[in-house]
Amino acid sequence: MVISVKNLTKRYGDLVALDHFNLEVGEGEILGLLGPNGSGKTTAINCILSLLKYEKGSIDIYGKPMAPEAYDLKRKIGIIMQNVAVFEELTVYENIDYFCGLYISDKNKRRSLVIEAMDFVGLNDYGKFYPKKLSGGLLRRLNIACGIAHKPDLIILDEPTVAVDPQSRNNILEGIQRLNREGATVIYTSHYMEEVEQICTRIAIMDKGKIIATGNKEELKAMINSGEKITVEIYNPENRILTDVKNLPHIVSAFFHDSFLTVKSERDKNNLMVLIDYLKTRQIAFGKIYSEPPTLNDVFLEITGKELRD
Amino acid sequence: MQVYKVYFKIIKSNIIQLMIYVFVFLFLAVILSSTYSDPIKTDFTSAKVNIAFINEDEDSILLNNLKDYLESHVNFIALPHNEKSLQDALFFRQIEYIVRIPKGFTKSFLKSEKVSVNITKVPESTSGIYMDTLINKYLNTARIYIESENDMTEKELIENMNTDLSESAEIVMLNSAVENDTYEKCAYYYNYLSYSLFAILILGVSAVMMVFHNKDLKKRNNCSPLKLKCMNFQMILGNFSFTMVTWILMIASSFILYGSFMFTSKGLLFIMNSFVFTLPALSISYLIGNLIKSKNAMSAVSNVVSLGTCFISGVFVPQAHLGDTVLKLASFTPTYWYVKTNNAIADSIILNTDTLMPLFYNMLIMVGFAVAVLVVTLVIIKQKRGLA
Ligand SMILES: Nc1ncnc2c1ncn2[C@@H]1O[C@H](COP(=O)(O)OP(=O)(O)OP(=O)(O)O)[C@@H](O)[C@H]1O
Ligand SMILES: [Mg+2]
Repeated sequence: MVISVKNLTKRYGDLVALDHFNLEVGEGEILGLLGPNGSGKTTAINCILSLLKYEKGSIDIYGKPMAPEAYDLKRKIGIIMQNVAVFEELTVYENIDYFCGLYISDKNKRRSLVIEAMDFVGLNDYGKFYPKKLSGGLLRRLNIACGIAHKPDLIILDEPTVAVDPQSRNNILEGIQRLNREGATVIYTSHYMEEVEQICTRIAIMDKGKIIATGNKEELKAMINSGEKITVEIYNPENRILTDVKNLPHIVSAFFHDSFLTVKSERDKNNLMVLIDYLKTRQIAFGKIYSEPPTLNDVFLEITGKELRD
Repeated sequence: MQVYKVYFKIIKSNIIQLMIYVFVFLFLAVILSSTYSDPIKTDFTSAKVNIAFINEDEDSILLNNLKDYLESHVNFIALPHNEKSLQDALFFRQIEYIVRIPKGFTKSFLKSEKVSVNITKVPESTSGIYMDTLINKYLNTARIYIESENDMTEKELIENMNTDLSESAEIVMLNSAVENDTYEKCAYYYNYLSYSLFAILILGVSAVMMVFHNKDLKKRNNCSPLKLKCMNFQMILGNFSFTMVTWILMIASSFILYGSFMFTSKGLLFIMNSFVFTLPALSISYLIGNLIKSKNAMSAVSNVVSLGTCFISGVFVPQAHLGDTVLKLASFTPTYWYVKTNNAIADSIILNTDTLMPLFYNMLIMVGFAVAVLVVTLVIIKQKRGLA
């Protein structure tokens, strides 16, 4: 196990930010920590890094207890914080060199690592730029370069793609997968389920300071009742339609949202044809129609009763 | 040494703001040394005074001898003996002093009766006081002989007196006027230095502290393998290096302006005093750096603290012109002790254990300030860490 967190409990006054939080991360995984805003992702990361004191629980990294003085463990970790942490007074190159230098003292070795890191995030042309002159996306990339330049075994990224344009976002996500292929274990927190689904080998969903489900995306989706979700645009939405649809076989739920009818089917059952047949025989006029497999949002919704994103 | 390197990169990025203070100081220092003029300090010479001597008495031996005695100190100006021309001469400073011997003076004087010469002089003039002294000295000496030995003839009296009066003290000036002037200017230079030095240290140190106290950077540094001890060591080293560089820069121009004077014992004392002053200045800057949160607050505080302490401590207005309450308040700042020491160095005539001890005592107070403020700062740092 690279990381083993047991019964971690952290309070901010009366607020319980982490409530018996358990997490295990194995070598070579990209673990996605998925949870809505305020669910405790950053708090969990900060506790794992010994930046916060906690009331209860244990944290082991590479089999050793993590502590503020565990410098040999810290040496193996690369960290990309949720808030960009770079020096305004240093150029892109100097920033990466500073953070890399905290881990690697050999100057020549460091020079090639810094250049490699700039290459990696696509900042080669910006070496002499000061952070103020970088766009939000480029600044995030710099933040990442500062965290990974020393080639850590374990990389922790806390929402590295917040407020980033799609191009930078793809660059970042691909980069993480590349690092993982090169042998790094990754913990990736986000409240974007698409990102987590796209790159993570295993996902832990958390809410209110607790892990509520873990597994790869197929396993998670298999945990819930609903499968396929069909959405149909109906020009004349009537309650009668709703009652009829609910009586069709293998239907879990059905509801109107304005003139859109959403129908969720049981897992592994295909209801699209049945629904279209019904609409045709009743001569109900309909427009657009589309069917989607279940998402992590559906998983979250079914477990917690609320949407992942508010 | 990553932190140490970043320390100076942060200083570099604030260099313009810092250099402004250096230039303001150099400007003041240069202006000062070209315009500052010392109160006239003439070397001691017994200049001759123009006087009118009017004798309405007989030509006695006593009076003739008085005239001879005065001869070596004054020029007798012959003027008509009427009141108007005498007054005019006095008014136009043709003469500065009129001695009028009343009728029957010699006789009464020799009988030890109460008599006096009439004096008219330019008011509040040094020459007037000088003349008073000369005449009093002559007459008093005469009176002592008359009263002690009754049967002395006028001739014997004069002989005795002349041997007494011819003895004059030798006067040696320890400091020449030119030297004094330079020390005075040098003291001004070093007093002004406290303003810029203080402002630069506060700005520089707090600029760096603010960066490293940034919440996110602090977290980021804390999860790296950089040991806290190592980090603090590099910080302290950075603070000291920065302070030394600033100090050397500030005193360097005094060598240009005052040249070889800086290598005299007084010059070295000025340098030593300014060095001791950097210690509490650094300590206070470190405290401020630990309390300040924003750039605006930084320049505001650096101005208020450096200017404020300098005003009340007598950098811009001499300490002698400041009220007791202000000075008492000022004595709670190291600047006061620094300025006081500078002034004392400039004013001291001889340097020996007695005159040096108070200077070293003042410096010790400054060191005390440095230590006390540092202790307070360390306590604050510790408490802040406890809250995280
Ligand atoms: N320093 C703090 N003091 C008090 N409460 C805090 C503090 N930091 C976080 N919290 C609270 O703890 C809870 C968890 O916060 P945390 O930042 O860990 O959430 P998160 O999952 O990282 O959210 P986000 O997606 O917005 O980053 C939130 O309710 C937050 O308000
Ligand atoms: Mg967070």
